[in-house]
Amino acid sequence: MATVLVVDDEFGIVDVLETILTDEGYRVLTACNGKQGLVRLSAGKPDVILLDFMMPILGGAEMLRAMAAEPAYQRIPVIMISSLGEDVIAEKCKGYAAFLHKPFRAAVVLNAVARVLDRAKNDAT
Amino acid sequence: MATDPIGAAGQAPLERVPTGIPGLDTVLRGGLLKAGIYIVRGEPGAGKTILGNQFCFNHAAAGHHAVYVTLMAETHDRMMQHMQTMSFFEPARIPDGLYYVSGFRVLEEDGITGFIDLLWREIRTHNATLLVLDGLIVTAESSGSDRDFRKFIHELQAHMAIEGCTALLLTNGRRNEYHPEYTMVDGLIELHDVLFGTQAERELEVRKLRGTDALRGRHSFRITDGGIVVYPRIEALLARPSAADQWPDERCATGVNQLDAMLGGGIPRSTATLVLGASGSGKTSLGLHFFSQSSAREPGLFFGFYETPLRLRHKAAGLGIMLDGLIEQGHLEILWHPPTEDILDALGNRLVEAVRRRRVKRLVIDGLLGFQEIAADRPHRIGRFLTALANELRVLNVTTVYTAETRNLIGGVIEGPTIGLSTIAENLILLRYVEIRSQLRRLISVVKMRDSDFDSSLREFRIMSTGIELADTFDSAEAILSGFPQLTTGELPADKAARRPRVK
Repeated sequence: MATVLVVDDEFGIVDVLETILTDEGYRVLTACNGKQGLVRLSAGKPDVILLDFMMPILGGAEMLRAMAAEPAYQRIPVIMISSLGEDVIAEKCKGYAAFLHKPFRAAVVLNAVARVLDRAKNDAT
Repeated sequence: MATDPIGAAGQAPLERVPTGIPGLDTVLRGGLLKAGIYIVRGEPGAGKTILGNQFCFNHAAAGHHAVYVTLMAETHDRMMQHMQTMSFFEPARIPDGLYYVSGFRVLEEDGITGFIDLLWREIRTHNATLLVLDGLIVTAESSGSDRDFRKFIHELQAHMAIEGCTALLLTNGRRNEYHPEYTMVDGLIELHDVLFGTQAERELEVRKLRGTDALRGRHSFRITDGGIVVYPRIEALLARPSAADQWPDERCATGVNQLDAMLGGGIPRSTATLVLGASGSGKTSLGLHFFSQSSAREPGLFFGFYETPLRLRHKAAGLGIMLDGLIEQGHLEILWHPPTEDILDALGNRLVEAVRRRRVKRLVIDGLLGFQEIAADRPHRIGRFLTALANELRVLNVTTVYTAETRNLIGGVIEGPTIGLSTIAENLILLRYVEIRSQLRRLISVVKMRDSDFDSSLREFRIMSTGIELADTFDSAEAILSGFPQLTTGELPADKAARRPRVK
């Protein structure tokens, strides 16, 4: 059972993602900002992260930078999620695996998570 | 950011933060005060979120930074989907100029203390000079008591003052104004949705504004493709004319020579003239004559309610008046507003703006009752509205011709508009139909000219393909009124031409 960490400041989105991912058989951890996300990482390494870009205290780009500086987190694939365009995310964020534009459908999220996990497994082997 | 020119002597002027929302900065006399805290209150759907976002985007477009914090509001992606149809929404401003965050989880988990800490950090992190908090009611509900909530507002005030950040707190109308937040904040702006009969109109009111003046009372606003547009109430905006009155002592030609002679050389400049007459009596035709005398020196504006610009141009052509060339040269402008579901102050503001924009000197308002029809559900406003408008037009050196319809077509009793005409127009011209021997004839007379001599006799007039023609003298009119019309020395030029012997 793969573990997904959802980091988003909007509680409605976190709740929905938690529900659909749990239903699909994933174990889900949640955090409401980048700082809390880093705390969750230190408690247990997830297999994939769904990371919002605009959040209070520590945003998505800053969390990505903090992960890049820590060797233990460098190989965790990150799916950026945002209502902004991918061009903005690409300019501000480095090293993410995929991008999902908000609002998204459940199937799109599940497909992206499965795809990124597959790719990570293949890379490992 | 602008500074207040009316700062108290010896004190630094209060720095203003313009909202950039059309009309709102006029109501606020330049904008909100820097580092102030303002509540925007309104029922769901009143336009609070649009107002907050529009302010943020305008602030970012001016090179500043804003943070928009939501509590239990719609999700950010949904909000952006709604905003992106509006012209102020520029995605490129996000995230550097405008940053959206949700504070609900922090408020839930860390309480008011954690939430105030979040607001402060976001302001500092993003170097924000504008904070919008969408959902103040949630903060109030999360506070253990009114005292805790008062403490939250107090701490927010302290943070805003230190950071030089202005805060807009959006809330619905559930808490009454005796709650602490309303006494503590620097200003309270209310948004209303009001029904007048079956017509809905949005209104904005500045209920409280510390340290500065505002246009008091309610002002209409619309939510357009460009966002919110506020139309300051004309009576408040122009309570005092924008400049000192002048007395040019010059005359303005009407375009009808014989009428100019009756008026002693034309209409006194910078005055208003009411042309009163029954439907079809020639009011618009007379207005078109006056309008056709516009030039580069005297730009003209025709502000009408009933005839479209196309029909008006055809009507003018039927009088031998060709408007197209003058319109192309920019000497004339025709604005048409059907008197349907419009906002009275939107019309008033549009009229004043059109006059100022082109420095209009000749203005025809065709169908004064159009204003009355639009304000049908608020008849008490129309007199003050028109008086304020007329006073402003005078100081802008505009010579205005209003037309208004009398209710009865033919007869000795003339029923004019029920508004106070003497405050609107100094001069009065009356057009009448007279029925004589199964024929309708038209008479014109100058009834009133303020502080000026004029020929008060009745004259017969006709509307010809070459324009309006007046009889040289009152004889034909007198004959018509006596019931025995005959050609005398007072004949019309057209009759004179018809009598001329043919040259073989």
